[in-house]
Amino acid sequence: MKIYSCCGNESITKKYFCSECGKSEFEEKEVSDSGTVYSFTKIHIAPAEFADIAPYNVVLVELDEANAKVTTRIEEDVKIGDKVSLDRIENDAYIYKRVS
Amino acid sequence: MTNVYVHGIGMTKFGTLTSSLKELLLEASAEALIDAGRPKIDAVFVGNFMGGSIANQEILGAIVANELGLGYIPSTKVEGACASGGIAFRQGLLGIMSGEYETVLVAGVEKMKHATTPDVTQAINAAMDTTTNEKYAGLTFPGFFGVLANRYFHETGASKEHLARVALKNRQNAVNNPLAQFVKPATLEEIMGARMITDPLGLFDCSPMTDGASAIVISRKKSPIYVKASSQVSGPTKMQDATNLLSLPAIGESGRLAYEKAGVGPEDIDVVEIHDCFSMTEIIATEELGFFNPLEGWKAVEEGRTQVTGDKPVNTSGGLLSRGHPIGATGIAQIYQLVRQLRGNAANQLEKTPRLALAQNLGGTGSYSTVHILERV
Repeated sequence: MKIYSCCGNESITKKYFCSECGKSEFEEKEVSDSGTVYSFTKIHIAPAEFADIAPYNVVLVELDEANAKVTTRIEEDVKIGDKVSLDRIENDAYIYKRVS
Repeated sequence: MTNVYVHGIGMTKFGTLTSSLKELLLEASAEALIDAGRPKIDAVFVGNFMGGSIANQEILGAIVANELGLGYIPSTKVEGACASGGIAFRQGLLGIMSGEYETVLVAGVEKMKHATTPDVTQAINAAMDTTTNEKYAGLTFPGFFGVLANRYFHETGASKEHLARVALKNRQNAVNNPLAQFVKPATLEEIMGARMITDPLGLFDCSPMTDGASAIVISRKKSPIYVKASSQVSGPTKMQDATNLLSLPAIGESGRLAYEKAGVGPEDIDVVEIHDCFSMTEIIATEELGFFNPLEGWKAVEEGRTQVTGDKPVNTSGGLLSRGHPIGATGIAQIYQLVRQLRGNAANQLEKTPRLALAQNLGGTGSYSTVHILERV
């Protein structure tokens, strides 16, 4: 997974300008997609476009190799602290899975 | 600097209403104009979020000016998701402070109950950054606060019962507010056992879909209600980019700015309306605004400190959770309740008539926050 960083802030998305220094010279690095569940919710009431898969879990994952988080969807139920990794990218969504 | 004062307020019943978006808007606006003694209005600002997407109605500013016979004056619709009302109020203030206008009508309105829940949920999702991997993963607006709540539980001693106690308090307050959407009492057991919306938030933890409107007339002419401070800031638009998920920095920063402008601190505030779009959000906001320490807002709930009889009464109107949340009207409805508290004739009027009141209105998942401090002078 690609990480963009500047002035100590790391993110999986690139902004136009750094909020600290104002420059657009973001350092790019490739890190492992594996991480730890930071928090989660199971969404029961979904918007029209996701109604067919509800209820589903949206999980905020803290990446192991960067000071950054990624919002994912995970099919099985998880709890905070669970180890997870990327299973696939589907319709531009990161679909993660629990590691053993 | 030009000082601004509140001259009139108006508000429709909140709930499932047969009136159209336009009728609601005009009803609240006319009431505010009459309450203010029918002054000459120099400009109109209308807070509204989904008039276009759900009610197929825009040009709300011009409709108000025209239907109320206000003449060829400037009128503007303001959008800032759930903070549309608070931002509209601030735009009105700035218009007066600039010297351009003497007296301004600010209104807020939303019509939601005619649409289906999936359609409204979809429309509300426009209050997130909709072209991110978060949105594609299926994150919803309530979902953000569900994720936040589970982490809050993890890091504090708080549980679902503390959220339920917020919902219960606001319901108890709404029972005494004839304009509130939900006036039927609820029990803690009922709230705890309600169907899940987005784990751990159940039905009573989430603000409802609501029809309603509210309005306010402000002027540089003196009145007994002085707008002591106004602030607005923008915050993160993506959950994964929050430095600390348990902080909504837009709330904290808007509070800090407002206190600084007013020359007061959180300890001086007598009565508060804050943006309880979810029960969890009320707890976080009471921390961000400095009423309680970070990660200790749940203890204040446990101790009853935010009840009408507590030392820091929060949402005496019933809040978004039970007064209702017609999105564009909410920020103005908060100020409506505070003006009535300062006038001494509010629903759940405090025993000792308050002097300083604070309203905090949130948009998106912490994307916008406004704070207004009112003073009885």
